Amino acid sequence: MTAVSEAEPAAAVPGPPRGRRTIIVLVVAVLVVAAALTVWTQRSDKPASEGPEAGFARDMSVHHAQAVEMSFIVRDRTQDKPVRLLAYDIINTQRAQIGMMTAWLDGWGLPKTDPAGPMRWMGHGGHGGTSLPAGGSMPGMATPAQLAELGKAPGRQAETLYLRLMIAHHRAGVAMAEAVLGRTGNAQVTRLARTMVEGQQAEITLMEGMLTERGAPPV
Amino acid sequence: MSKNARSNAPKNTPNKGKPAAGKSATGKPSTGKSPAGKPSAGKSAAGKSAPRKNALTERQTPWGTIAFFTVIGLVVAVAIGFAFNQNRSSAAGAKIEGLVSKEEKNRDHVKTPVKYDTNPPIGGAHDPLWQNCGVYTSALRNENAVHSLEHGAVWITYRPDLPQDQVVKLSAKVGATAYTLLSPYPGLDAPVVLSAWGKQLKVQSANDERVDEFLRAFVQGPQTQEPGAACSGGKATA
Repeated sequence: MTAVSEAEPAAAVPGPPRGRRTIIVLVVAVLVVAAALTVWTQRSDKPASEGPEAGFARDMSVHHAQAVEMSFIVRDRTQDKPVRLLAYDIINTQRAQIGMMTAWLDGWGLPKTDPAGPMRWMGHGGHGGTSLPAGGSMPGMATPAQLAELGKAPGRQAETLYLRLMIAHHRAGVAMAEAVLGRTGNAQVTRLARTMVEGQQAEITLMEGMLTERGAPPV
Repeated sequence: MSKNARSNAPKNTPNKGKPAAGKSATGKPSTGKSPAGKPSAGKSAAGKSAPRKNALTERQTPWGTIAFFTVIGLVVAVAIGFAFNQNRSSAAGAKIEGLVSKEEKNRDHVKTPVKYDTNPPIGGAHDPLWQNCGVYTSALRNENAVHSLEHGAVWITYRPDLPQDQVVKLSAKVGATAYTLLSPYPGLDAPVVLSAWGKQLKVQSANDERVDEFLRAFVQGPQTQEPGAACSGGKATA
């Protein structure tokens, strides 16, 4: 720039650059506003480690993981087609949803775990003390003793135990998904939580019917 | 802002409404509406000669230049702020004091005993069966626990002489934290050792705040060799 103005003092410098400069300023200003907006929206969209979105992603992953585990167990215990199909469905759906929620935490750059304990985002105190199973105890989750019982139960008995455990599991899962819906405006989280509420609600109805078909008392 | 620029430019040109500058500033949308400005060559020539006089008198305060560099400054500031923000979140864990990192490439499955070069091991060949996450009160087989590390678990080990209250505290923590294992480990050179794949931290007490830092950084952390792999459905007993 300086080289040019020294070479042609009066002719080149004064005229055209002014208009062009205004354009450049305008273009850059638009870019800056766009960049600032992008940063601002990303920052306000990025949930906090202690917030409901991250807490939900972590806790629901743990909750889902147990549903997957129970479903694998029952598929090993019975040849009953409807129960095996339901278990197959739960394994795939919930395992995939764990992947989605893990990807959120990855994308938000947040830890996958909160050593202070589960469910604090819902206003529950950290559980602890006596809990021994991995993942701690959250509402609806089966105890290690119940899992062991399921692993040993034969055929029809395994089916009804699985259905009873899974109905309780789903009910608590629906409650957790509803809790995050009341606490977040994040579109990604809202979308998945809503499908969980609707999907699990429908499966609860299905499982209650299956329980009745097997002559077992309702949960 | 764009309105000012547009109304400034026409003042200098004889025919208002079609300054070449105004058109390129508004960009794509206006190009379709420009059939009126066909003689663009003649117009731009007039535009060039007219502002030259004005520019000479107005040059004292270079608002354009000021605005230009202000804007550049803003862009740089925003970019730096953004980059800093990104780094801060992703670098968590790297700053834990006393953390040992080691690259572990060998992920072979073997059924024979493996000789590991750290105690407890933090990677290497391992048993095909992973150890389920949870609390154990007797020592685990290295070859199974290493497989859990590969799945993203953190293995907390303690010397058998660790005071009971600390064992209780660690048990509660592991019980409430997915993808963690706890077991006693005879022969440790520190009271409590935390291990993840390629990562290890030795602490003198279960109350050390780096325990939680390590868990936040490495439970299913970036060192995980098989993201999404389970820490259940494997070996359930010590």
